[in-house]
Order: sequence, then C-alpha cells, then structure tokens
Amino acid sequence: MKRGGAAAALGLLLLWSSPAFAWDTFLEEGRSEPPVLEAAPDLAPLIATPPGLYYVTDTYVQDVVTSSGPLTTYSTATVHESTGSYARVLDTVPTGASSAFDGSAFNGRAALTDGRSVAGTYYENFVFADGAFVPISIVFFQDDAELARHQATTKPPVTTVPSPAARPSTPRPLVSACCAAERPVVIAVPPAPTKPVRPVISILPVSIPLTMVEVLRGRAVTLWPRAFADGREVPVRSWTVVAGEAGDALATAGSGGVPFRSSWSRLAPPGGAYEVVFRIEVDTPETGHRTVDGAITVVVRSPALQD
Amino acid sequence: MSWIRNDRGSAMVLTLVLAPLLLVALAGVLQLGALRVVAARVRAAADLATLVAVNDQDDAELARSGALRLSWDAAVVAREYFARELASSAPLLDGPADEIAAAADIAAYPSAPAYDTRTGTRYDRPTVRVAADVPVRTPVFGALILRPVTILHVLAVGSPR
Repeated sequence: MKRGGAAAALGLLLLWSSPAFAWDTFLEEGRSEPPVLEAAPDLAPLIATPPGLYYVTDTYVQDVVTSSGPLTTYSTATVHESTGSYARVLDTVPTGASSAFDGSAFNGRAALTDGRSVAGTYYENFVFADGAFVPISIVFFQDDAELARHQATTKPPVTTVPSPAARPSTPRPLVSACCAAERPVVIAVPPAPTKPVRPVISILPVSIPLTMVEVLRGRAVTLWPRAFADGREVPVRSWTVVAGEAGDALATAGSGGVPFRSSWSRLAPPGGAYEVVFRIEVDTPETGHRTVDGAITVVVRSPALQD
Repeated sequence: MSWIRNDRGSAMVLTLVLAPLLLVALAGVLQLGALRVVAARVRAAADLATLVAVNDQDDAELARSGALRLSWDAAVVAREYFARELASSAPLLDGPADEIAAAADIAAYPSAPAYDTRTGTRYDRPTVRVAADVPVRTPVFGALILRPVTILHVLAVGSPR
C-alpha cells in the first residue's frame, strides 16, 4: 500500500513537472556553449611595408647578462607586445667584430671580459607617420656567451683554445654548454670593474648629452638617463628620480629601456630653474654594479606677449 | 500765461535744431564704440596668432641643444592663425581676412638675440612679431564726411619667457 502510494505520488510529480525556464545567458547569442575568449589579434597596421621592414611584435626591454658557473650569457630580454613600430636588420656582428653602427644604439653594445664586443644584431626602429617610415632609434640585441675561470687557476690568465671545427665568423656565436668545445672558447680573468661611469641625460635615446633643457609649460618632454664608461655607452639597468622637481611625471623610476617623461605646469621662480637628479644604475662586466647620479636643469618657459 | 506759450514755441524750435545734432553725436559715439570693439578683436587676433606661433617649437633643435627655438614655419603658422581669427570679424572688415593677413608684416626670429628692423627692438628670446594694418568699415564716419574706412594698426610681439 505504501509502495503504491509512493509510486502514485512520484508519477503525479512527473506528470506535473515542467521546464524551469531558467534564463540562458547565451541563448540570445544563438549558441548553448559559453563563449570562448579569443586571443586579441595582433593588429599590425594594414600598411605596405618596404622590403626588409617588418612589424615589431617583440619589444626590447633590457640587456640581460646571466652567469651560470663559468658560463656567462649575454642575451636580450623582450616583451611580446606591439608598439606600432617597425624594424629592419642593420647588421649582424660576430664576437669582437666592429660594426659601422657601433655607438649608435641607444642601449650600447656590451663587451666580453677580454674587451671584445659581444655578438648580436643591430636593428633600426621606425614609426609610420605622415605616410612615411621615420627612423627613431637603433637598438642592439646582444646574443653571445663566454666561459671564464677564476684567477685562482694555475693556467695563464688569457688563453684561446683552438678547435678544428671552429669557424671564425660564426653568424650567431651563441655558445651553449653542450657545444662549447666546438668553437673558440675564451678563458679570461674577470678584471676588476674600475672604469668610471659618466651619467648622461638626453632628449632622445641617441642624441647629444644635455645639462640644461628648456621646455614649454605643460608640454611633455622625454628625458633618457644614460651612462657612459670609458667613452662608450653602457646599458642602463634602471633609473630613479632621487631629487628635484619631477613635474607631472607618471613614473619617477624605470628600466633602462623606458625614458622619463614629464611636463611642468608651473614656472620656476623668476630667474630660477628646476633641477632633476637621476640615480642611474648600471651593471655590466666592464663597470660592475654601480649607481651614479646625473642631473639636468629644466627651465620652464611659457609663451608670453611683449609690450 | 503769455510767456508760457512763448516758451512752448521756443522749445519746439530748440528741439528741431538740436535733435539732428544729438542724433549725429549719438551715431558718432556708437560708431566709435563699435570701432573700439573691432580694434580689441583685431588686437586679440594678432596676440593669439603670435602665441600660437611661439608655441610651435623645433623639436630637433631641442634634442640637439636643449634650447627652445622656433619652428621653421612659425611665420606661416602666425599668418594662418591671424587670418582665422580675423575671419570671425569679417563683416566689419573692409576686405577678406585672408588678404589682410597675407599683407601683414609677420616676422619670426628663431634664435636670439635678434634685431627687429621694423621696430628697432632687440629680442633676447626667439620671437614672433605680427604687424598689420587692418581696414575696418566705419560707415557712420563716412556719412559724417569722415573716412568710411578706418585703418587699425596692430602690433603683437611674443616669445617664450
């Protein structure tokens, strides 16, 4: 009797059942599955680029020097982002070879511990403006490695181990731990980093160092903290504004690949000027880890009428 | 009672004689006021054109020397903006705004110090100078046997300070 009642009750419930008519959030879109978030396409401008020029999808961040035991690797850190710029390869240089573009890259070209320049590739960056590709800067992507041993060794301080399979002009002289014996290996003693570092501030990544700059009130200006050692530019790891009037800057610190950008909405007192002091950090084999302070005087002017 | 009647008559005569004179004086005052308003607008046009041109700086020179220097087309920019601003007062001008601006003596001194041969002034900053003769219609003055067109001399000098 109880079973029969329960079965009857269950049957009644099944007969009275009806769809819940819950609101399907995806019904209006004509599909029952949740939307799949598609990766944003890399919006390369639909611009016909000249031969050799390509749209930049990986942007330079900073030079990276890593050491793992006796192996020191010189590489370049990038970030996958498109800044709307274009680039072309200027020159690919092997270890120690000179290039016509040496000294023109805003991030410089580092040197091995024996003084030879690292291998890598020079790129020239362009922006598309007013119907033409305008060059804006040159960057060096380092790509090299070296083996070193400490001074405690009994072997001569600098020795070149020849290898029959070695080619003197390897296009990409990257030495990995697996195949280091297949090419010349430099056994060098790391010299003490004693080279003085000279701080420099400029308007462009590659332009004349300035100690004073005039800016119009409210107009944004870009300042690049840079550093030179022994007459050659060395990459800046980071910079920080440590003193002075930074104006309306969004950031008062950054990496070497990012400039200081600010504007000043107030004039200095009559006859005065703002002084901005940057603390520039470098860390290269030839300089070691150093910080130097560089200052620039900012004179804010405003268009005015004369009587 | 009789002198009152005589007074009424003399008041009418006096009104008939003085009314035209009063109307002429009133029209002259209104025309003079309108001319002053136009003069202020023309002066503001020259000032604005000067400031806009001074605001146009040479970025390459700034990167090279850190110093402000006028852009190579500062005079062109000043003339263009002078014409634009005059166009807002076109009904009051005796000629197209473009032609008036084209005839203006506009000089840009990109670097300092510089000497202005027109005014004999020495400029210690990069300077833009606008000197113009702006013809303005003054029909009431013309009806009063004066000049129907009045020339406004305007001079504006600007520099970053």
